[in-house]
Amino acid sequence: MSELPFNAVLVANRGEIAVRVLTAAREAGLKGVAVYSDADAKALHVEIADEAIHLPGKTLSETYLNSDAIIAAAQSSGAQAIHPGYGFLSERADFASAVKQSGLVWIGPPPEAISTMGDKISARLKMMESGVPVIPGEELSVPDGADHLGQLAACAARVGYPLLLKASAGGGGKGMRAVSEPKMLRTEYEAASREASAAFGDGTIYVERLMVGARHIEVQVLADSHGNCIHLNERDCSLQRRHQKVIEEAPSPVVNSELRDAMGAAAVRAAKAVDYEGAGTVEFLLSDRGEFFFLEMNTRLQVEHPVTEMITGIDLVLKQFEVAAGMPLGLNQSDIGITGHSMEARIYAEDPSKGFLPAIGDLAMWRAPAGPGIRVDTGVREGDSVTVDFDPMLAKLVVHAPSRTAAARRLHNALSDLRVLGVITNIGFLRQMTMHPDFVSGSITTDYLDSTDISKFAEPEIDPSSLVAIAAAASRFGLDKGGSGGDGELIDEHTGHAGDPFRTLSRSFP
Amino acid sequence: MEWSIAETGIRYTAKLSDSEGTMNLSGFTADGQESIHGEISITRDSQANRLLVEIDGSAHIAHVAKVGDDWWIHLDGRIHVVTGHEPGSSSDSSGEGGLNAPMPGTILEVHVKEGQRVREGQTLLVMEAMKMEHRIQAPKAGEVVRLNFSEGDRVDMGATLVELGD
Repeated sequence: MSELPFNAVLVANRGEIAVRVLTAAREAGLKGVAVYSDADAKALHVEIADEAIHLPGKTLSETYLNSDAIIAAAQSSGAQAIHPGYGFLSERADFASAVKQSGLVWIGPPPEAISTMGDKISARLKMMESGVPVIPGEELSVPDGADHLGQLAACAARVGYPLLLKASAGGGGKGMRAVSEPKMLRTEYEAASREASAAFGDGTIYVERLMVGARHIEVQVLADSHGNCIHLNERDCSLQRRHQKVIEEAPSPVVNSELRDAMGAAAVRAAKAVDYEGAGTVEFLLSDRGEFFFLEMNTRLQVEHPVTEMITGIDLVLKQFEVAAGMPLGLNQSDIGITGHSMEARIYAEDPSKGFLPAIGDLAMWRAPAGPGIRVDTGVREGDSVTVDFDPMLAKLVVHAPSRTAAARRLHNALSDLRVLGVITNIGFLRQMTMHPDFVSGSITTDYLDSTDISKFAEPEIDPSSLVAIAAAASRFGLDKGGSGGDGELIDEHTGHAGDPFRTLSRSFP
Repeated sequence: MEWSIAETGIRYTAKLSDSEGTMNLSGFTADGQESIHGEISITRDSQANRLLVEIDGSAHIAHVAKVGDDWWIHLDGRIHVVTGHEPGSSSDSSGEGGLNAPMPGTILEVHVKEGQRVREGQTLLVMEAMKMEHRIQAPKAGEVVRLNFSEGDRVDMGATLVELGD
């Protein structure tokens, strides 16, 4: 890739995404430069980098969020480009500008695109202007004594049912009424208006479409600096817990080719509206009636980008490098197809039986599955500590199979082969989820997990005698004393003892 | 050695008979009562941390790792934690009356005062750890003997937050 204007890339991130981007850089023939904080001195992303620069300091704002230190690290290492990964500084327009002003290549969209899309109001206005559907809503101000109902009915018809009547001056649920059909409009409006006037002295009402049973569908876009912009199909991320995605898949089980074309075209319009460059994601809510509405645009690489890579065969990080280098995409919309089905499960250090409380400890064993159609993107390895310092996502387990049914089975089996000992994870929960009829049938909506009793995904009780016999036998065999060769045995480097998960709390990678 | 699985509180013992390096389960108790158990024999593998387990005539592989008092076991696609206890040790850690911080974090709210009677399940404190709020609740009815922290305090994991008396 001699045409690239840079031959070394600094990755301003940590964990699995830093590993992913550094690996891509090396594959592209570029030098990969990592940055790390004290806690990450022995982290995997540091190990695989060609060069690693230490960021001194204790807090995130002194390290991974420290724009000046990161730009200085790029300059001192000779890296001519910066890739921000996701999170941290990736959607900070001021950082993108600072990188450019210091003469470095910013591997991301123009700062103006980041700031327009980063503000909900400016993004919504921009989308309306560009003909991208947004969640319908209108404010209705009716002076006392006027024909409020006629105006309201017309407004409600424009917005569509079911809808939400909200007192503009409202709050705390006061003056908020859901209306499922036109004949209920009058009663609910009068109730909402009374409540609102009583509570706030203002009867102005905001009418917004009520989204129930919606799915989260997002479209991957790629744009270059020559005006080319295409979409790479959708991802379905409807399985969420408190807005945190759990399993993502591509393609969506509910999007047909007609809807895909429409959503893809809308996503491309959204990207073009802000002169987007690089890889980005336009998120939509898809209603149960098949209408879709713009939610927001993520102006960076997504956590779940691998499922798109699996079904399209396109390396999104490599494309980011090429676009940042000023190269044309070299792809037309007609070049983008869908091969098979892909799913990604996020492996978190958390305890589903305790309200998904984040878990910490040492990874006494970390053995990832392998085989056809299995990809594991991880930032950890056996022996690493999981601490409170960072996000509890340990890895992403991605599968690719010819059909959705085959992908769900492959994911279930791969989860069963993911052997993580020493830290509580959501693996058991994900195993149950991938077998559950609601998941297998593809009928999950965004409210599903938050309105479902989580205990139904608990793994069934099993005969205790075999487990106790195994523990007793393992002790008798002396497997806790380092065994023969100590494969997988974790020894604390300071004490020489098998690691207590809590002793190393303040350190990261012993 | 006594064993427990997850937080059921049941204490198990297993009697193993050693036959040329193969451990056969010959006795199994749950809370002191003889219990039925499978035909289980366990052999070491050349790989440390891997055991060959025969359960009722079918072969399985168990991957194991010891962390503290816990044996972590991966068996048939599932991950289990079996905790070892010295015989005679207390079966109820909350019986000691101390309530410990489950994670390092910050105390957000204190709902009780020293000397106050509380009922089982009553929220004593709310703390924030890893950007999530956790309620610290009374495991039993009793009197708040000592409150060790106030709102805004940082606490380490395992720190005794509240001491409860009968």
